Amino acid sequence: MREITYREALNEALLEEMERDPKVFLLGEDIAIYGGAYGVTAGLWKRYGDERVLDTPISENAIVGVGLGAALTGMRPVAEIMYIDFIGLCMEQLNNQVAKIRYMFGGKCTVPLTIRTEGGAGRTLGAHHSQSLESWLIHIPGIKVVMPSTPYDAKGLLKSSIRENNPVVFIEHKMLYNTKGPVPEEEYTLPIGVADIKREGTDVSIITYSRMTLFSLKAAEMLEKEGISVEVLDLRTLLPMDIEAIVRTVKKTNKVVIVEEDCKTGGTGAEITAQIVENAFDYLDAPVVRVAGADVPMPKSPVLEKLAIPDPERICEAVRKLVGR
Amino acid sequence: MIKEIIMPKLGETMEEGYLVSWKKNEGDKVEKGEVLFEVMSDKTNFEVESLHSGYLRKKLYEPSDNAIPVTTVIGYISDTPDEPIVIEKKSETKIEIPEEKTVEQKAVVEPAEIKDKEISGRVKASPIARKMAEEAGIDIALIKGSGPEGRIEKKDVLEYLASKKDEGKAVPSGEYIVKEWTPLRRIIARRLTESKREIPHYYLEGKFIVSEIAREKESRKKEGVDLTYTDFLIFLTARAIKEYPLVNAAVINDEIRIYTSVDIGLAVSVEDGLVVPVLRNCESKSIYQISKERKEIVEKARLNKLTEEETKNARFIISNLGMFGVENFQPIISPPGVAIMGVGKVGKELVVIDDKIAILPVMNVSFSFDHRVIDGAYAGQFYKRLKEIMESPVID
Repeated sequence: MREITYREALNEALLEEMERDPKVFLLGEDIAIYGGAYGVTAGLWKRYGDERVLDTPISENAIVGVGLGAALTGMRPVAEIMYIDFIGLCMEQLNNQVAKIRYMFGGKCTVPLTIRTEGGAGRTLGAHHSQSLESWLIHIPGIKVVMPSTPYDAKGLLKSSIRENNPVVFIEHKMLYNTKGPVPEEEYTLPIGVADIKREGTDVSIITYSRMTLFSLKAAEMLEKEGISVEVLDLRTLLPMDIEAIVRTVKKTNKVVIVEEDCKTGGTGAEITAQIVENAFDYLDAPVVRVAGADVPMPKSPVLEKLAIPDPERICEAVRKLVGR
Repeated sequence: MIKEIIMPKLGETMEEGYLVSWKKNEGDKVEKGEVLFEVMSDKTNFEVESLHSGYLRKKLYEPSDNAIPVTTVIGYISDTPDEPIVIEKKSETKIEIPEEKTVEQKAVVEPAEIKDKEISGRVKASPIARKMAEEAGIDIALIKGSGPEGRIEKKDVLEYLASKKDEGKAVPSGEYIVKEWTPLRRIIARRLTESKREIPHYYLEGKFIVSEIAREKESRKKEGVDLTYTDFLIFLTARAIKEYPLVNAAVINDEIRIYTSVDIGLAVSVEDGLVVPVLRNCESKSIYQISKERKEIVEKARLNKLTEEETKNARFIISNLGMFGVENFQPIISPPGVAIMGVGKVGKELVVIDDKIAILPVMNVSFSFDHRVIDGAYAGQFYKRLKEIMESPVID
């Protein structure tokens, strides 16, 4: 199978969906002429013009508000928030309108809006451009939150998000855009809300998502040489969370390490842990362990930035400790 | 008010006891006189009633096969369900009443220490290990944990179950399984080792011709009373002891205590051990009464229903292995007693009487004596007297 980058996979998904459905259009900061801060929308403005690829002013609240209005009138907008760090600026629209309007109007309208954004550390962009804020979003009933880790998942899930009749926040990772992976040339989509076992194992389950999936796979590879068999479950979607898949892997290995880039306190791992305790307590053979981001504003220093998020060696340490090595 | 729960001293020789079970959970309301916990001591389980009404607030010990010295504080009861319990740092047996303490003094208690106390005794096991043990019907406390801080994990349960499965299978020589010490086995081991180490044992062996007793047995049976050789033995031995009271003595606190009542202990085998119920005042009881009490007490022993009262202060003991065809054996004296009788089989033997050979029922007996208290001549006289009584019994 051909291999393409995560960026290319996303670009293909946008292009294919715009091709397939004339109601699909894009809006966001610097996404048209410039092609997007990370180049995801490159070439699309040239192809579809101002009507379907809109550069907006720097106003996140307006971007989401316009997206919502368009969605309510039957369009399928794909809005881009350049950095998830700015999601707070559109929280009124996102939290109070986008997420609730279908419910409050008794289902008389739908909101087929996709909000693409990206997060995470790794480029030493400092505390304003490196955050992982997904746990804010999974606390909002009425939206879906997707966080793919591979080019294949990114393409399949973005296509499904665009076709979804409810709002989806689609969170990419700035350090994944240049990662490559196999993506079929033929048409496919992936279901939202379904986790994926990226690696089978028997001793410990790592439950993770987004870029940390790659780190976890790296750790699993290192641990295999030590005779520790690690299963890596990539959640892919955080809301709705695939509890069944989580319970299945807990039942299989009985030991869990959660690897997350977001701050540990009140993070996504806390929710995963609670779900495990509620749904699979009797299958636990050890306390759930979290390897998570430090509770600090992301440092600008490359050395400190690396220390502030999990890395494969620290994931290995946590697993070794859990299996008593 | 906070009140201590202590390991009670339930016999003059009791130095430590084993906590068998709690009958209440932490936080439970407890009425004065209600059974609070169960203790094993000197081979008996007994139930201990609460001396106070209130709430069981803290268990400092959980059931285990570790002995707890008498008067050790094993838990606390408080008047109200939520008043604070402050445990003084240096001594486990002291408890401070919070309202009399200043804030500064309270601060002396290190939280970590209280926490340690809280978790000590609780069996640490992972949820799946607990579930698996429960499903397999095994007591999780029997499993040794290999996880952090001794936590029992899934693999420990699997290993334990595998070892259980192997039990009874023919295994290659050299392989073994580990049999857990039970509290009762620990007590037996400790007491008998102590006895063999401390007491200079010596042994007498002999035979009693029991044709007269056999006759008596038959005639009572015709009257509808079923007496056993053991009943005769207890009844008649008590009479011999009455004349040789040293046999019924005890060594306690470095004193040789000679008792006026003849209390005879009976070694009764129970599951994985033995217990010794005691028949009191045998010297003044009829054989019928002895027989009746013996039946009751042996039955209670087998059902593990003996009370502390029924087993305490055993001195002279009769141990019978005759039913297995054993001819003779040398039993170990059970402290604080100074003598023990071992009874072998009763069988017909060739006996020479007045230069004539006769075939008569004979009982094989042996005795172990404590030479510190009883010399050979005294023991010999006792044996001679008992033989006379046994061979020409007077049942009144």
